[in-house]
Amino acid sequence: MSESSRLDAEACQNPLLDVSNIVAGYGATEVLHGVSLCVEAGEVVSLVGRNGAGKTTTLRSIVGNVVPTSGSVAFDGQDVTGLSPEETVRRNVAFVPEERRIFPDLTVAENLKVGQLGGGDTAESRDPEEVLEEFENLRDHPDRRGGALSGGEQQMLAIGRALVAGADLLLLDEPTEGLAPFVVRQVEDLVKNLNEEGIAVLLVEQNVEVALELADRHYVLDRGEIVYHGTSDQLRENEDVVDRHLGVSI
Amino acid sequence: MVGVTGVAEQLLNGLTIGMVYVLIAAGLSVIFGVMDVINFAHGELFALGAYFAFAIVAPLGGAGFWVALVVAPLLVGVLGAVIERVTLRPLYDRNPLYHILLTFGLVLMLNDVITFFWGKQPKAFSEPSILSGPVTVLGVSNSLYSYFIIAFGAVLSFGTWWALNNTRFGLVVRAGSQDREMVRNLGINIDRYYTLVFGAGAALAAVAGIVLGAYQNVNPGMGNSVIIPAFVIVVLGGLGSFRGAVVGGLGVGIIQTLARTYVPVLEGLIVFALMIGVLLVKPEGLFGTSTGEGHGESEGELLAGRGGGVLTDRQRFGLGAVVVALLAVVPLGVEVLYSEYVLTLLTDVLIWALFALSLDFVMGYAGLVSLGHALFYGTGAYASVLVLLHFTSSAFVALAAAVVVCAAIAWVIGYLSIRVSGVYFSMITLAFAQLFYRAVFKLEWTGGSDGLFGADVLYGIGGFAMELDEIAEMVPMVSEEGLFYYFLLATVVGSYLVARQIMKAPFGSVLQSIRESERRTEFVGYDVTAYKRRAFVVSGAMAGLAGGLFAVESGFVAPSLLFWLNSGEVVVMTVLGGMGTLYGPMVGAGVYIGFEEVLASYTDQWQFFLGALFVLFVIALPRGLVSLPDKLVEAGAGGGRAGTSGGPGEAPSEEAEPLADGEVNE
Amino acid sequence: MAVTDTADDFDPENEAVLQATELTKQFGDFVALDDVDLDVRDGEFRSVIGPNGAGKTTLFNCLTGALKPTSGTVRFRGEDVTRLPPNERVRRGMGRSFQISTVFGGLSVRENVRLAAQSVAEGKGQIPIHRKLFSPTDRFESVEARTDEVLAEIGLEERSDDYARALAHGDRRRLEIGLVLATDPELVLLDEPTAGMGSEETQRTISLVEEVLADQTMLLIEHDIDLVMNVSDTITVLNRGQVLATGTPERIAENDDVQQAYLGGVRE
Repeated sequence: MSESSRLDAEACQNPLLDVSNIVAGYGATEVLHGVSLCVEAGEVVSLVGRNGAGKTTTLRSIVGNVVPTSGSVAFDGQDVTGLSPEETVRRNVAFVPEERRIFPDLTVAENLKVGQLGGGDTAESRDPEEVLEEFENLRDHPDRRGGALSGGEQQMLAIGRALVAGADLLLLDEPTEGLAPFVVRQVEDLVKNLNEEGIAVLLVEQNVEVALELADRHYVLDRGEIVYHGTSDQLRENEDVVDRHLGVSI
Repeated sequence: MVGVTGVAEQLLNGLTIGMVYVLIAAGLSVIFGVMDVINFAHGELFALGAYFAFAIVAPLGGAGFWVALVVAPLLVGVLGAVIERVTLRPLYDRNPLYHILLTFGLVLMLNDVITFFWGKQPKAFSEPSILSGPVTVLGVSNSLYSYFIIAFGAVLSFGTWWALNNTRFGLVVRAGSQDREMVRNLGINIDRYYTLVFGAGAALAAVAGIVLGAYQNVNPGMGNSVIIPAFVIVVLGGLGSFRGAVVGGLGVGIIQTLARTYVPVLEGLIVFALMIGVLLVKPEGLFGTSTGEGHGESEGELLAGRGGGVLTDRQRFGLGAVVVALLAVVPLGVEVLYSEYVLTLLTDVLIWALFALSLDFVMGYAGLVSLGHALFYGTGAYASVLVLLHFTSSAFVALAAAVVVCAAIAWVIGYLSIRVSGVYFSMITLAFAQLFYRAVFKLEWTGGSDGLFGADVLYGIGGFAMELDEIAEMVPMVSEEGLFYYFLLATVVGSYLVARQIMKAPFGSVLQSIRESERRTEFVGYDVTAYKRRAFVVSGAMAGLAGGLFAVESGFVAPSLLFWLNSGEVVVMTVLGGMGTLYGPMVGAGVYIGFEEVLASYTDQWQFFLGALFVLFVIALPRGLVSLPDKLVEAGAGGGRAGTSGGPGEAPSEEAEPLADGEVNE
Repeated sequence: MAVTDTADDFDPENEAVLQATELTKQFGDFVALDDVDLDVRDGEFRSVIGPNGAGKTTLFNCLTGALKPTSGTVRFRGEDVTRLPPNERVRRGMGRSFQISTVFGGLSVRENVRLAAQSVAEGKGQIPIHRKLFSPTDRFESVEARTDEVLAEIGLEERSDDYARALAHGDRRRLEIGLVLATDPELVLLDEPTAGMGSEETQRTISLVEEVLADQTMLLIEHDIDLVMNVSDTITVLNRGQVLATGTPERIAENDDVQQAYLGGVRE
């Protein structure tokens, strides 16, 4: 593969998150065939690829929902491979899974409260009410049921819920999926703001446009393998990669 | 006015009992909601609360009641927490069936602990004297204690509700019952909360036991008698719903009490009928939500026994033949090598082996966990005795009647209940069985609580029938019991061979594919529901035959044949032996009864040890005894024999499948 | 090939084998499928592609019977099958495969294929009730013959006695396709047959599909447009629950709307 030369193993000097050659799957079905990537502190990195490429499985392996059969995951220099999600998350990792997974029968405020309870030992936990203030759609209705929120509101709440406990790294799985364009902008703004506060983000996206808008570096995942790695400019120019692994070939 | 005050009085009584139910059901429901555990031992924890209170009140007298009300629930709560830690924790990844089995083992253990310390006779302790007098409110006279129960229960329920809605603990519990994995993803170790939930649920049940104990009495059967209504309440209200438990508890308490007074015919029946009705119309219960499975969490599968590997099919068949041959020579040694009792015992084993075989047919192959199989066993027995008493003395006709009647009932119940799946199917079969159990008490032609007896049994048909002892006179060396034993052995072995043949035929192959993957079977072109229903009919007929054989042998029937403990025991035997193998459950029946017998000869506490053994089994050897040789070889070889003998656990998990079950069934 | 109940006036020359009309599927407020029309003709290889969330899987499920559409109809060979359960559709000749192979792991390879072949025989009424209950499964000649045939076609004769769960991923995929084949389909519905595979394996699977299912009428759901370009006669593109375009692979590749849907405007 011509792009493989661009897969720079030394992409990070001092990685906050270091995923090294993980193999993972469900039962006998192997989904990831050796994925490596890294994120530096304060950086936004995207993991793009088509449906079924293994993006979600990569995030689930990092957090610990799926235990990799080989390879390792290190956070802040500490090996977290195979730790339970609660142990991983308590090391100041915030995880927003796909489909948001808001607790439907809990109110907005309660959803945030659950997030706060899961705060790590070293976390600078935030006041849920303060977090709520940042979301104009949510702050006026702290007593609405999570299940009654719109998709965009749920996404905001899911991000807020993951962050109340304090985080150095945010793992975001398809935050714009199914959202109307102007809501996508809102989510983008939120992620930018968070990054300005110093939180590193690993963004899983199918929408290349959103990824290019937000991230500095991009990993392209196809069929469980990283097939390309580059900056936004490099990716934008590399039509071949975009066509072959993300879009339509002609 | 008398009528009105009468009703008011009954309402008050209903409310009193209802409040006790609420306390029991609330814990049961929340435990299910958070951990997916169906806790059969909840009734025993309730009873234990009552007994602890008795032990405290007896030396302390009247004021002891208040001490007991605080201390006993604490003790039971701690015990509950320990139980969760030690026994349930290893099983969370497994199918809920294994929780049922485990807690069933705990029922045996706890019940035996109770009889060990306090004996089988009912005990009584009284409410504090300050609450003992009657009071008259608005012309309705009732005991003050009754009001106390209602008020105290209401305060506790409200407190629980408040705690669920206003504390950290409650918040995590509610979040966990909606999406466990997400709670973990937020950094919360939810396992820690499980222990607390289980302990708190146990403590609430203990409170219920204490207040009811002083209201009525304390006896070893109180747990068994309360657990089934409690399940009805939980299912009615919606599994996991606290509100459902409250509404359901009060409703059932009132309906039961009113029915007892005004429509005694329906007492005990109406609640089960109600539950069946609700399940059929709205399987998720009145206040339940049908969100189905949480995200990314797999149900865990039923672990079929695996005999493959060490022994070849041929060797196993040979081994089976040897066992049958040995069984066949047993009667020849009676009065020479051992007493008649051996024959009695083996007769029992063979009947239960057939019963277990029948359950395996649906549970081990079609994946239908019936918790009401005693229904068919008992009904088969009743049908046989009724035929013997009223129509003909021919054993053959009586047995045929048992088979036909049970097949018909199985068809009807299968038609109604197979559309609901998983735990709900288990619950609905349990409800049907209890409905029948209650019904035989009520009906005149089933002999009420005495049952039926005194049937003459002839072997043969029409003019060619004889009594067994007449035949025995013509056969050298074999007694009357021996003759029946041979008849039984032939029937059971024959049934096994028929079942085995069915499993090798197209019909059975489809059942096995249903066990492997229901959805895939459907998409190969089979009508899965129809196949399950037919399997249920065959199974019901076989269980009926087992019951019929019992009746023909003993000549009597009693309602206890239909009691839910029998359903539980046969499930235990099936899993103990190794389900999905047909012969495994039969072995399981033999081992279970054999153990019971051996243990009983050494200790009165055999139930405790049997329960403990079973708990160990569920945890360590869920594939049953038939998988023992494999397991030993594997352990010996250091697991070097992967590949062809790997368990189905290596197959892709449910999680990896593209459609959720709910989507297919809509 | 299978003899199925066909509406009397069905004319394969002029009518679509599979015809979906105005299919709509709502989940609560969410419209997953919005007024979708789809015609698949006899002998055609049709692919349905679309980005994540386009409604491909929902469409597939409505066609196979796993879901009931909110409105609209599905006709197969002229017969309205909209309300028929999945197994009835399979018996009428609509075979389907699964996204992730769900072969019967605890049964042997042969038993797997036989189950599908046996289903066809059962559907044709060739298995009398007493034999269905008591005759060993391997005593049905026509079923055995068909089983052998399919095993040969998918190249798994050698492994016919192994447990299906012991197969490697690729072989399992073969068996999965064998299961579909053995139901004697007149239309094969394939749901992302290469999902979760590495690139080499993907090529092998596509070759297998081409090789084994060459003469079949096919409807393939796929997100990977590259894969379907060379094999499809016609491609339908779904986006946000609606048909964005239908046409030959060349036409689709040139379509601006399609580019937009897939790339989110990156190439402007």
